[in-house]
Amino acid sequence: MLRFRPSRPSERSRRNAVKALFIRHGIERTPEGRSLRLLRQWLSPPQRVQFAEKGYFEVVGGDIGKRYRIYAGAATNVCEVDENGCPTLGLCFLPMGDLPIGDVMLSQKIALESSESRALGVARSFVPDGTFRRSRLLR
Amino acid sequence: MAMQIVMDRTGDSRHHFDPNYAHEVARAERRFYDLTNGGFTAAARTGPGQVSQIRSFDPNAEETVFFPRLVGG
Repeated sequence: MLRFRPSRPSERSRRNAVKALFIRHGIERTPEGRSLRLLRQWLSPPQRVQFAEKGYFEVVGGDIGKRYRIYAGAATNVCEVDENGCPTLGLCFLPMGDLPIGDVMLSQKIALESSESRALGVARSFVPDGTFRRSRLLR
Repeated sequence: MAMQIVMDRTGDSRHHFDPNYAHEVARAERRFYDLTNGGFTAAARTGPGQVSQIRSFDPNAEETVFFPRLVGG
């Protein structure tokens, strides 16, 4: 007689790991997933940790040396922050074309870190409101 | 193998070339100037998380990323 046998914990964890791998593979095949993978590869280790935990990462401008926070998003997702970490000025700039979110964020990081003045020259500024508190974590 | 990563709607397009082969380097150099003359910005990874913009082709840069011209939103 056949009886239902619960799987052992080790089998379950292996099955879950395989399932997670398949899901991750599926996600990373989309433009969004591919762009986020590229972004993570180009972030510094502290930025990677910050992005995973908080949904944003911070960069220091290469010319003036101000601190900026880049939130997950493709528009109105950058702000200048003061020494207490409070947003003081919102900035909106992005690469032309309909790029996925990770590409937009990586372009913003590179622009601020390596040619801050030029990025600020094209950016439109706005008064930051509660928008920046609503950050989502991206897997 | 070196790699040029061009951002696009699909995420990115990757072009590999071997710096030891002149014809591959020439093709990569042509691609570099076609893109940068067309408004793309090129940046190379110089360390973990460290990036610098480059204005001339560097065949020894292991990874170069290209993104389109920035505009205000």
